[in-house]
Amino acid sequence: MSTVSSDADLQQGKDPSPGLTDPPPGRNSVAPLAGKYALQLFTVVGLVVLCLVQPEFRQPGNLRSVLLQASFSGLSASAMTLLIVAGMFDLSVAGIVGLSAVMVATVMPHTTVGAAVGAALLLGLALGLLNGVVVTKLRFPPFIATFGMLNLYLAAAFIWTAGGTLSIAAVGFLPLATTQILGLPLLFIVMVLGVVACYLILTRTRFGRNLRAIGSSEPASRMAGLPVDGTRITAFALVGLFTAVAGVGLAALLSSASADMSLGFELTVISVAVVGGTSLDGGRGSLLGTFTAAILFSALNNALNLLGVTSYWQYVAIGLVLILALFVAGLQNGRLSFRRS
Amino acid sequence: MTANVVTPDSIDAQRRQAEVLADRVARRSAIVDRTGVLLPFVVIFILAVALVPGFLSGANIRSVLVNASIVAIVGYGMTLAIAIRGLDLSVGAVAALSSVVTAGAINAAGAPLGVLTGLLIGLIVGLVNGLLVAFMRIPAFVATLATMGVARGAALLYSHGSRVTISDTGFRKLATGSVLGIPGPFLLAILFCALTYVLLDRTRFGRHVCAVGGNPAAAREAGLNERRLIVAVFGLSGVAAGVAGVLITSQLGSVDATPIQGLELQAIAIAVLGGTSLAGGSGNLPGTFIGALLLAMISASLNLRNIPGYYQYLALGALLLLALGLDTLRQSLRSRLMAGGTS
Repeated sequence: MSTVSSDADLQQGKDPSPGLTDPPPGRNSVAPLAGKYALQLFTVVGLVVLCLVQPEFRQPGNLRSVLLQASFSGLSASAMTLLIVAGMFDLSVAGIVGLSAVMVATVMPHTTVGAAVGAALLLGLALGLLNGVVVTKLRFPPFIATFGMLNLYLAAAFIWTAGGTLSIAAVGFLPLATTQILGLPLLFIVMVLGVVACYLILTRTRFGRNLRAIGSSEPASRMAGLPVDGTRITAFALVGLFTAVAGVGLAALLSSASADMSLGFELTVISVAVVGGTSLDGGRGSLLGTFTAAILFSALNNALNLLGVTSYWQYVAIGLVLILALFVAGLQNGRLSFRRS
Repeated sequence: MTANVVTPDSIDAQRRQAEVLADRVARRSAIVDRTGVLLPFVVIFILAVALVPGFLSGANIRSVLVNASIVAIVGYGMTLAIAIRGLDLSVGAVAALSSVVTAGAINAAGAPLGVLTGLLIGLIVGLVNGLLVAFMRIPAFVATLATMGVARGAALLYSHGSRVTISDTGFRKLATGSVLGIPGPFLLAILFCALTYVLLDRTRFGRHVCAVGGNPAAAREAGLNERRLIVAVFGLSGVAAGVAGVLITSQLGSVDATPIQGLELQAIAIAVLGGTSLAGGSGNLPGTFIGALLLAMISASLNLRNIPGYYQYLALGALLLLALGLDTLRQSLRSRLMAGGTS
């Protein structure tokens, strides 16, 4: 009985377009829109101001570099958004970046560029699958389990490279980070495609609906007969794959690979997803938000660099922006009350 | 369904039997929780003595004890945080910040003020964590991940990415000196272990912390001030990280912004290894202490055998997953025994 009704609920009833928080009913039509797209508005205004104030910032080359830098965290964060929607989490992304980059650097001299990239992406997919199995089948808490996996992956990458850096000389590989299409960096276009793919997956497919259902209520989803574990494992695998793409891109940009090439990447990826408006409670995510937040963070870092601020401030800035975003999200949800509930 | 005649007497007897069984299960699993870490501890100890030359040398034992003590003190705070169903990822960065600022403050204003500053920094970041978790309802691990970023950045800014060396060599006695042949930090670790044990297991505060961690909704219904408890626990965890930072400065004499790589992970690992369940509601502080000794023995053995430092990542990751595996096993075993006992 409950199976049928909850399944029907999932299919018809509460199925709002994800990513858009329900606007408060009534009032005029502009205010909710402004609230809904506050992050986009803020980012655009911020970019315009930066362009006006800083001559170096508005150089086409610099703007391209902002987009290029945004594509690494954006790629990983778009798949992470799906995973967070399903009520899960992956802290091991820095390890996946390191391992996939080391993979591409190791395999490159022996085969074609395509095969090496393919091997790295496969490795990322496999690591994601492994994360998913560890979390769902062994029922380890996702945060600590993927934290442990992060260390295993980093260790594997360190041992693989004997703690050093592998340089990549393949001529066909480096253009991956430098090629432009219509004036846009190739990796940025890959990132946009990834975001769009994740958006379509989340909103237009049965798999996406399952992700949202599982994130909203795992017990209800189990009762409704949804493949909870399989769906989550797939989401983990997607994070592994997308993160490996970022790792390969980063290796191309640096023309080298080492285990610690992206330490702290998980903080950026999580921040991008959360600042983008994806609820850590699960069930709801915004890929437009993730995309915007990736660009916002990249622009912020870029501007701080141009201002001659040391890179140390970027840790502080990311942490503070994350806290601020969570604060605002708390206000919007009305969760933030100073009375005891 | 068919043959059993149900009489009030038989129901009563069954119920009594079930209670006895449940009681036994609870007591046994409590013993396993309390002492489970001793088995891997003894195994690793025997292996280390047998396979690692020089493991029993005075210098090595001393360094194992001092390193274990610093991690254990952070682990006590983590154990409290886990007991209230939280997690504090910021401890490593807080210890680093406290350590570099302590070094700077000692150079500027002398040892007592320096130590005070280090502890104060731990307390402040800890309270901020607590406020974020308790009042802004941010999941503990995200809130502390954010403050980890801020604290790490602050530590790098303060030290300009290089080392801060203390000129006051007397201060180094705190970590390098001994009382009756026992290293000072080890005595501190035992003292803090006893204090936090009493706090968690023998006081009303500790009972309330476990109540909130075990069942937040019920604790709220019972009228506990959940928020104040959370702020207090994270404050204590921050202070513990601050103490560790001070000890690190005293031990090394010259510190940078990452004196101990992955300290937060080590603290979580030793707490879980020691028998503190991530489900919340309990904390085993002596277990955390033994877990710290276990971890320090592994590190020292790897060092003595000249195995590259990055293998520490491997040992730590594997140890953490092992601890999680044991924790999960313990929980499922208990629920199965309970189910078997009452059916």
